[in-house]
Amino acid sequence: MKLSDIMGAANLSAYAEVAMILFIIAFVAIVIAIFAPGRQQTYDAASRMPLDDEHPQTPR
Amino acid sequence: MNARLDSFSYDDDIVRKFLWATMIWGLVGFLVGLIIALQLPLPGFNVSPYLTFGRLRPLHTNAVIFAFAGNAWFTGAYYSTQRLLKTRMWSDGLSAFHFWGWQAIIVSAALTLPFGITQSKEYAELEWPIDIAIAVVWVAFAINYFVTLTKRRERHIYVAIWFYIASIITVAILHIFNNLSVPAGWLKSYSIYAGVQDAFMQWWYGHNAVAFFLTTPFLGLMYYFMPKAADRPVFSYKLSILHFWTLVFLYIWAGPHHLHYTALPDWASTLGMLFSVMLWMPSWGGMVNGLLTLRGAWHKVTEDPILKFFVVAVTAYGMSTFEGPMLSVKSVNALAHYTDWIIAHVHTGALGWNGFLTFGMVYWLAPRLFQAEMYSKKLVNLHFWLATFGILLYVVAIYSAGATQGLMWRAFDETGRLQYPDFVETVMRLMPMYWVRVVGGTLYITGMILGIYNVYKTWAARPATYEVPVVQAAPLNPEPEAMHPVAGGAWARFASAQWHRKWEGMPLFFTVMVTVAVIVASLFEIIPTFLIKSNVPTIASVKPYTPLELAGRDIYQREGCFNCHSQMIRPLTYETERYGDYSKPGESVYDHPFLWGSRRIGPDLAREGGKYPDLWHVRHMNNPREITQKSIMPAYPHLLTNTIDFPTIQKHVDAMAMIGVPYGDAVNKAPEMAKAQAAQIAASIEAAGGPKGLADKEIVALTAYLQRLGRDLKNASGTAQQAAPAAKPIALNASGGSR
Repeated sequence: MKLSDIMGAANLSAYAEVAMILFIIAFVAIVIAIFAPGRQQTYDAASRMPLDDEHPQTPR
Repeated sequence: MNARLDSFSYDDDIVRKFLWATMIWGLVGFLVGLIIALQLPLPGFNVSPYLTFGRLRPLHTNAVIFAFAGNAWFTGAYYSTQRLLKTRMWSDGLSAFHFWGWQAIIVSAALTLPFGITQSKEYAELEWPIDIAIAVVWVAFAINYFVTLTKRRERHIYVAIWFYIASIITVAILHIFNNLSVPAGWLKSYSIYAGVQDAFMQWWYGHNAVAFFLTTPFLGLMYYFMPKAADRPVFSYKLSILHFWTLVFLYIWAGPHHLHYTALPDWASTLGMLFSVMLWMPSWGGMVNGLLTLRGAWHKVTEDPILKFFVVAVTAYGMSTFEGPMLSVKSVNALAHYTDWIIAHVHTGALGWNGFLTFGMVYWLAPRLFQAEMYSKKLVNLHFWLATFGILLYVVAIYSAGATQGLMWRAFDETGRLQYPDFVETVMRLMPMYWVRVVGGTLYITGMILGIYNVYKTWAARPATYEVPVVQAAPLNPEPEAMHPVAGGAWARFASAQWHRKWEGMPLFFTVMVTVAVIVASLFEIIPTFLIKSNVPTIASVKPYTPLELAGRDIYQREGCFNCHSQMIRPLTYETERYGDYSKPGESVYDHPFLWGSRRIGPDLAREGGKYPDLWHVRHMNNPREITQKSIMPAYPHLLTNTIDFPTIQKHVDAMAMIGVPYGDAVNKAPEMAKAQAAQIAASIEAAGGPKGLADKEIVALTAYLQRLGRDLKNASGTAQQAAPAAKPIALNASGGSR
């Protein structure tokens, strides 16, 4: 019996749908995490990093 | 707070090197593009055997992607990474190794592709020794990069660097898995995958080469250099994080949209379409983020050519990432696939997004790196306008070429027959558009030449020795920031997103997460494609190529025939009407590598076998215009004089046998079998009144291969003639098949 027989019998084509749902959950989690309130200051500091070649951001 | 400050300096020498490489290779890549653009309306521009369209087209794509865009990314990455991390690159030696190694690889590409040394998978043409060299150089780059990350003096890693990290990791994975092959000599190898699976791997790679070589690295550059040039922070840092994670999660799935209506299983193609459509939103989020970075600075755009370049670059990114999802919708793709529409699409991306972002970055960097005033702002402006009009002419002409040819292919007349049954008629219609492209390309190249001159003059005005500023920064506190308690239970802790901030502080862990996202997505798509047997039903009558046909197939690959001829008939009426029964997945189980092609500059060849007599092929290869007066195919007279290298056929058959092609007897006596078949074909050519003494010439091998195409299926359905091209039910042998 070859590996492809075993995998064929396992009927894994539903994997794609499962994966898609997992990825959408991960995506929603990231969106919530990013837009949750309370991090604005951190983001503001981070966004200024490219403009600040000489002096590092504080606090690090 | 630390009282102690470290003093250090940045390595700008490596940035200067990469900047020069970007400009010089860019010019070379564009010039090769101009040559192949001229070869289409003027077949005389093909210089057989080394400088034909089929051999130069891969050189153009490789030069532009890996030499121009690659060096541009490295230029910006070495400049911005050191500054964002407040540290010098960990090892100057590894940086230099990366630089010289990468240039050596580019040179070796230029030295192998015109000689027909190719794996014939798009953007992965380079043969296995060069592939290994690429892997070694890439690992050196990655080691240098990740150790530098650990030496950083900033806790937070800016989003541009996330994009670089994801690109470094993903490119490595893609490169290794798509290039797995069995060598058959120093400059020849066969992909370990065949047919459908090889096609799937190739476009998983091909699409993500676009994603992780031409998109994410350049987004990293955008998120650093646009704020720099506009002198204001990015519009929304939140949006940039969202942009990053969605691209990492979504891009890797999109590859199958390159294979709509082919023999790829339908579910894979639908999945590819779905994820491609989803990609539209984050891409536009990123575009909006880039454009809005200029909020309140729009008056600067009118004065500063660098910002002009950036604005057009980001707009082109928006256009191509709108068009990409649209093209991935199956019904749109049915029209656009195999036509110039795709060529126009990639050139919006490459000329507009990659090119203009690179030019903006180069003009911003040049005065800073060479520590002299930019030689001429006027010339920068002129470059901008020349290149902008060049792009417009190019894409408008080629979009209409694509739509025109696509519509002509599918046109039926009132009697229900193809309106343009003669393929060459659909090609002739494109010639005016091809000339406009030549003009557009020339304008773009003229801009590039001005750019090189301008940078050269700036460099010429450099100080005798470059000033190396000493930067001071406090070392990173070895204690990572503790998570401070958050009231309100698990939800509030999650929402406070401290975990994400902690990840960002741990580059290694962060890298692992990106890798997991990429690999998991790939596996979910790849495992079913590879391991579920029903995805590739075997067809009993499909047999391996004979040794001579295999030798012919090698010649087909060497000459790059697949750059203009597909071997994949889609199950659409106007295709089956024109070319014959649609292609089945089981037909290409011995095709290492697959040669389905992606563009039809000439007709499909999947059912070419038996259409014409042997002598027709001899005359056609010798001079296509002797057969079809308006043909734009290059002439291949050398095939009638080059002798077949019979002893190497054995090596090639053995390599194929090693990857599981059931060659049986041929494993022992491939050259003898090849000679016998060659003598037969040569005799038939001679009997038909053709030239004598072709029995050991390459043309015989190629003819054998072309005459074999599509024959297995005709044998199965019992019809030797092309008389009834409509789809016939095929006896599928699901249990055993010919394996």
